[in-house]
Amino acid sequence: MEAGNALLDEYVLGLTNVARPKVCFLPSASGDADHYIVRFYRAFSASRCEPSHVSLFRRDKGAGLGCDIAEHLLDQDLIYVGGGSVMSLLGVWRAHGLDEVLREAWRRGTVLCGLSAGSLCWFSEAVTAFHGPAQRVPGLGLLPYSNCVHYDGEPGRRDSYHRFLAEGMLPGYAAGDGAALHFCGESLARVVSSRPKASAFWVEEVGGDVSEVALAVGWLGGSRTLTAA
Amino acid sequence: MGGGGFTAEPQNPALDDFILALAGEREPRILFLPTASGDPRAQMAAFRSTFGARACQPTQLSLFRLEGRHHDLRALILEQDIVYVGGGSMRNLLAIWREHGLDEILREAWHTGVVLAGLSAGGMCWFEHGITCSTGLPAPTIGLGFLPGSLSVHYDGQPERRPVYLDAVARGAITAGYGADDGVGLLFEETELVRVVASRPGTHAHRVEPGEDGDAVETTIEPELLAAAPGMRQRDIPEDIREFRAQRHAAARRR
Repeated sequence: MEAGNALLDEYVLGLTNVARPKVCFLPSASGDADHYIVRFYRAFSASRCEPSHVSLFRRDKGAGLGCDIAEHLLDQDLIYVGGGSVMSLLGVWRAHGLDEVLREAWRRGTVLCGLSAGSLCWFSEAVTAFHGPAQRVPGLGLLPYSNCVHYDGEPGRRDSYHRFLAEGMLPGYAAGDGAALHFCGESLARVVSSRPKASAFWVEEVGGDVSEVALAVGWLGGSRTLTAA
Repeated sequence: MGGGGFTAEPQNPALDDFILALAGEREPRILFLPTASGDPRAQMAAFRSTFGARACQPTQLSLFRLEGRHHDLRALILEQDIVYVGGGSMRNLLAIWREHGLDEILREAWHTGVVLAGLSAGGMCWFEHGITCSTGLPAPTIGLGFLPGSLSVHYDGQPERRPVYLDAVARGAITAGYGADDGVGLLFEETELVRVVASRPGTHAHRVEPGEDGDAVETTIEPELLAAAPGMRQRDIPEDIREFRAQRHAAARRR
């Protein structure tokens, strides 16, 4: 949902292998912010997919919901989790039992994606820097690694992540803004990006030092054929 | 509050003024927590415009948006005179607070004498039990338990909560407690109910206890009507003072 850049949105829609996929947006990490929901419907318009969202704060529960939330989520081709606070996100999900529903959706092969907090949530451990100093937060654990986002964008994240790794945090993946990690099951399949210069790393502690291995990132805009006639 | 204050009755400042006066400070520090509604911008703006013009030092805390600020949550809450909790989903509110450790910090604040206030979900959260509509239909849920007993809100405004509350108390599923109409506030000192107040006439609080025949027994409590005339207080404050306060609050936020 980057402004003026639909490359990653198109990419996740393509992963569903469905002509008109059912896409559900979970804006829980932002407290179901109205402006964010509107942005989702702009980016995922009904001409391209069947969009809906689930609200855990508003009584109306979301658009296009004729059944209960679990049933609705398990019927989706793609679940898109918005950014915000990963701690608040996980708290609200657990309170409504969505952690188990999403685990089940994952087992059934639903494509799960998200940015920022919506990325961190899928991993065993995450680095959050929401209030005060960065801290380690346990996620849903679908992916048995750690994750750090905004790796290049926010000063201090990288240092904190390295310190946590040295203290025994699970090895994992760091993603800069615009980079997306694509997993099949628990294995990393590809790293793609919406920007030509986005970066991602495998980061682990090796013999007391933290090693950072740059991953090959495929720019999704690079394969476009330009014809000047 | 069973419902009341700037988010529920924006034209009637009686309950908000009542809460401000409880701190016993000329300009109390008041922190708004809009967690239960997911920190919506409109509610936060309403808090700013309501309390920005009053004799107080208002702050608000979003647990959803970073907004470039880093908080030491414990220090921020313990330095307040009043913590004011907005309405919304009680289930979400408590789940998020626990995630951020706010349940323990608020308990500490309560013990050190910080005034804890709130409406709807923000009122029920302090009790052992409340009646939440977080999943659509009303259902009993567990609160922080600082105050013994239970609270059910919007007793007149959302009548579908009442039968669920009466049934749960009658069955002993939740502890005895109070039903509060919209506009009604219950004031506790330590764990003792000391005053029942209302921002408008015709509203009540209700003591709800299990009866001998398996039903719940309701006893109506007549509240004291608060004196503030709706809409008057804001106009009483001269424009230059409001402007001065707005500037000072803006400067404090930048610090």
